[in-house]
Amino acid sequence: MVPPAQSQRSPSPSQPSGKGEVSDLKMQLRQLAGSRAPGTDDSKRDLFKKVISYMTIGIDVSSVFSEMVMCSATSDIVLKKMCYLYVGNYAKYNPDLALLTINFLQRDCKDEDPMIRGLALRSLGSLRVPNLVEYLVGPLGAGLKDGNSYVRMVAAVGVLKLYHISASTCFDADFPALLKHLLLNDPDAQVVANCLSALQEIWGQEASSSEEAAREREALISKPIIYYLLNRIKEFSEWAQCTVLELVSKYAPPDSNEIFDIMNLLEDRLQHANGAVVLATIKLFLQLTLSMTDVHQQVYERIKAPLLTLVSSGSPEQSYAVLSHLHLLVMRAPMLFASDYKHLYCQYNEPFYVKKLKLEMLTAVANESNTYEIVTELCEYAANVDIPIARESIRAVGKIALEQYDVNAIVDRLLQFLEMEKDYVTAETLVLVKDLLRKYPQWSHDCIAVIGNISSNNVQEPKAKAALIWMLGEYAQDMQDAPYALEGLIDDWEDETSPEVRLHLLTAVMKCFFRRPPETQKALGSALAAGLADMHQDVHDRALFYYRLLQHNISVANSVVNPTKQAVSVFADTQSSEIKDRIFDEFNSLSVLYQKPCYMFTDKEHQGPFAFSEELGNLSIGVDDQRVEANEEDLLLSTTRKEDSLPQQTQGALLVSLDQNEPAAAHAQQTNSVIDDLFGLGLSSSPSPSSLLKLNAKAVLDPTTFQQKWRQLPVSTSQEGSISPQGVAAMTTPQALVRHMQVHYIHCIASGGQAPNFKLFFFAQKADEPSNFLVECIINTSTSKAHIKIKADDESASQAFSALFQSALSKFGMA
Amino acid sequence: MLQCIFLLSDSGEVMLEKQLTGHRVDRSICAWFWEQSVSQPDSFKVLPVIASPTHYLFQIVREGITFLACTQVEMQPLMGIEFLCRVADVLSDYLGGLNEDVIKDNFVIVYELLDEMIDNGFPLTTEPNILRDMIAPPNIVSKMLSVVTGNTSNVSDTLPGATSSCVPWRTTQLKHANNDVYVNLVEELDAIINSDGVLVKCEIFGVVEVNSHLSGIPDLTLSFANPSILNDVQFHPCIRFRPWESEKVLSFVPPDGLFKLMSYRVKKLRNTPIYVKPQMSSESGTCRLSVMVGIRNDPGKAVDSLVVQFQLPHCVSSANLTANHGTVNILADKTCSWSIGRIPKDKAPQMSGTLVLEDGVEQLQVKPTFCVGFKIMGVALSGLKINKLDVKNLPTPAHKGFRAQTEAGQYEVRS
Repeated sequence: MVPPAQSQRSPSPSQPSGKGEVSDLKMQLRQLAGSRAPGTDDSKRDLFKKVISYMTIGIDVSSVFSEMVMCSATSDIVLKKMCYLYVGNYAKYNPDLALLTINFLQRDCKDEDPMIRGLALRSLGSLRVPNLVEYLVGPLGAGLKDGNSYVRMVAAVGVLKLYHISASTCFDADFPALLKHLLLNDPDAQVVANCLSALQEIWGQEASSSEEAAREREALISKPIIYYLLNRIKEFSEWAQCTVLELVSKYAPPDSNEIFDIMNLLEDRLQHANGAVVLATIKLFLQLTLSMTDVHQQVYERIKAPLLTLVSSGSPEQSYAVLSHLHLLVMRAPMLFASDYKHLYCQYNEPFYVKKLKLEMLTAVANESNTYEIVTELCEYAANVDIPIARESIRAVGKIALEQYDVNAIVDRLLQFLEMEKDYVTAETLVLVKDLLRKYPQWSHDCIAVIGNISSNNVQEPKAKAALIWMLGEYAQDMQDAPYALEGLIDDWEDETSPEVRLHLLTAVMKCFFRRPPETQKALGSALAAGLADMHQDVHDRALFYYRLLQHNISVANSVVNPTKQAVSVFADTQSSEIKDRIFDEFNSLSVLYQKPCYMFTDKEHQGPFAFSEELGNLSIGVDDQRVEANEEDLLLSTTRKEDSLPQQTQGALLVSLDQNEPAAAHAQQTNSVIDDLFGLGLSSSPSPSSLLKLNAKAVLDPTTFQQKWRQLPVSTSQEGSISPQGVAAMTTPQALVRHMQVHYIHCIASGGQAPNFKLFFFAQKADEPSNFLVECIINTSTSKAHIKIKADDESASQAFSALFQSALSKFGMA
Repeated sequence: MLQCIFLLSDSGEVMLEKQLTGHRVDRSICAWFWEQSVSQPDSFKVLPVIASPTHYLFQIVREGITFLACTQVEMQPLMGIEFLCRVADVLSDYLGGLNEDVIKDNFVIVYELLDEMIDNGFPLTTEPNILRDMIAPPNIVSKMLSVVTGNTSNVSDTLPGATSSCVPWRTTQLKHANNDVYVNLVEELDAIINSDGVLVKCEIFGVVEVNSHLSGIPDLTLSFANPSILNDVQFHPCIRFRPWESEKVLSFVPPDGLFKLMSYRVKKLRNTPIYVKPQMSSESGTCRLSVMVGIRNDPGKAVDSLVVQFQLPHCVSSANLTANHGTVNILADKTCSWSIGRIPKDKAPQMSGTLVLEDGVEQLQVKPTFCVGFKIMGVALSGLKINKLDVKNLPTPAHKGFRAQTEAGQYEVRS
């Protein structure tokens, strides 16, 4: 659900409109405005409070703006604060009325009390009315030179506010230079910190358009400034320390002595009570030592204790954020945490998300020495009241077993689970036993003895049922009543809702048939008949395939369904190590919590600097969610669409590998290449796009229309593509790619960025009709990946265009 | 950088909204958030950091009040969460607790506080001592004062000296009629005892709390008799690191009032002060349950406020439990709570009875976990001992006091 845009002025219908009350307030305020009687301030205060409380609950009280301003001539600081709050809230939507407040705010900026000067300056900056900026420049300039640090601190942030309202005014007044001067010379650390935050943001945003700004941004991470800030680190507030540490982590010290100096200086930050500081320090240490393997290991050892303390000290929310980071580190270097496994034991009262992280970590740190304890602990959770956790822990036991430590004992435990006679325990265990058998066929004897006793009536979950059926088929010769159990299941074909189970049933009965033909023949016949009549396309196709195969040649059929199998050595990991590395680079950021690198959930190319455009900021994130869905759909679409065009022999491989339980390793290579092609990543399989879609060589689109369209249209395709190494080499500037794409009639409308990150916007037009394609292409040359988002007037053509775009992109640098 | 902070009541109503940057966050985000959290069966399950279609949200819940912060850019997650925790702490400190009414009554103060704590999305000062100097808390003393002096403003006329002093957590000119300082060791015992009765994990998390009312700029040194037992420590910014590194003494200039000087962890304790022994045996649809509690390792002081709590499994249709000491309560959500209080000298408390299982369930396969709560005053179970506390740079000698207590943290016994 997307929250509806801007509804500030229309309170929700459930709340009282408060119209009558507001006009009452208006009257009363007006009466008080001119009064000088004693006690006026008290009654004003009550009225102000009422106004603000209406504002807080969402009633529009902007209509009393002028009365509020009239009443604001007072020396009472609480009244002033309430008035500032009110003005700050409504000025943006009442620019004309806001002018009224300028006068008294400017006067307050010259008050003798520094507190009032500061507050007034802060409010003046918070008005955010573009045509009032001229009134802001004077007080800001004075504020930056104020004798009191509180005022300077407010003024430094004020400059940033001014920059966001009107960058040109900010530069005309030469404020950035003033900030830089303060940054290097101010005695107050908070002023320095605010100058730093402001400058980082200003230069960060300007950097893409001005070389001077880019240089200034680089200067912030130069040695003198970094050392200056580090030497004052203890003066900064905890929050400012985080900002400084984040900045330092971008600095690359030229030699190892410097690295050690920095780490020595900051070591005590690991003992800080504020988790944010500790985590920022850890990030810095990890970054600094990335190239020094030994020291990197020592850093892990050193940060372990503070991390574990943070996990146990904070509120559940803090623990979770720290645990997510710990999770990342544990997954990267499990052996370093092997002795701390007890810290990862789940406590009964912990929320589900914490337990889940802990279970994953426990699984990762298991090794020869601690497997026994960990598995014992995990088995306790299996009997837990909390069913999702019980499931997760059984899965964890299975994963550890697959890592082949002490398999013997673990298999026993798994089999004990089956005796608990809890449906969910049985279900999870069956899936695991199946995976175990695929990896360790030598255990089949023990497992089969137990599995044979399970009645398929007690298993309801499709995954578990499929696992049981697979085992029945695979070990038909060892299980006495396998054909009869299968027969029973086939009799209930009509009631079986899951196509996955029906697919498995077909394969299992085929396997069983080749091992015990006389007993299975009848079951096979009815299974094939039921399969051919099945409504589900895949089930129908597989039944037909088996039927024809049997017709064609029995021995070939046998070799297809019962090939000699190799045990699976490694199951495909859920998350690629490349992604893990990416997340690691983004340590101490939201990426870690989502377990996705930021390019997968945010549109911003750079973390940290505050950079978004007013409307696109909202839009892009909303769109992001759709993108993921769209992506999945696309995959499905392209799978079905392209299957037809696949060469004959690949199709064979595909069908065989449809039985997901066939030894994946044997086919892995082949299947991978098939899947790669399905993704449309490779050149070879993409159908010659020019035949499908012709583009207009002289397409034109003006930037405003582009922006408008980009905002209106949904994302129709979003894909990840790759660039050839030659392309990466040629990609020194975006212009090279712009010229290349032009040859393919895809025109660039905007481009920017520096190595390794580039962002380009393209458009293209159909040759025969004025239908546009808009493309956003984010390229990372260090990973040779391109992230492509396509929006189209005619969505049906977007697939074809996507293929065309990608093929053009992949040819980049080849010529 | 945070863009907006909302405070929501326990019914999802927006009580307060503080926009921090020019990019106004519409409050409809709160409605979205609330829908999300209501749709979760257990509000505890909502992640602290979630992505809404338009923003990333940080949320913490304190006493039914949800503190919600929004951002659109990548940022340090702990900075957001820690900051919200500080806001909650400061508010609760100022208002003497958190609830819907107290926030609505004092929303002006809340706005004032937020104004000083964060500007344009950058956290500024969250030190309670400094905030207290800028904005007086709405307590009885300040109300009395305002009546007496006729000054109705709750804002001090001067800026806190601390903003320019070299000790940012302390004001320069503090004067107390009586100089006193109290040190309190508060420890929490976390333990897991597994179904075989084996102590699998036993750990102490402790905090050194200091309540200081000292004039001027005093310099304190606190040393422990056995600092080597500490596994890991976390310090308040006032502690100087070097003396700790070289001699394991805490040297610091304290903030005024109550604060957390240090927190620490002690791993691998061998023993727990009490034992809790559950026993269950099921037979044809009923399950006999008995739980025995007693002193295992006498801590030397009375074990108080002892409570044993557990969740009855779903398949239990009714329970009949009685105890020879204390009271047994079974709540509507099938939580069973046995409050024992202080362990009597003459007998070992025991709870026993039967659980009737649902039809068709023969054996109780799901085992409950027993969470134990207790409190021991006067003892720090980790064995940490304060050696001495020196107060320097003080005109008159200060009164010093020491206390210790241990509570059960996450103490669970599985059956």
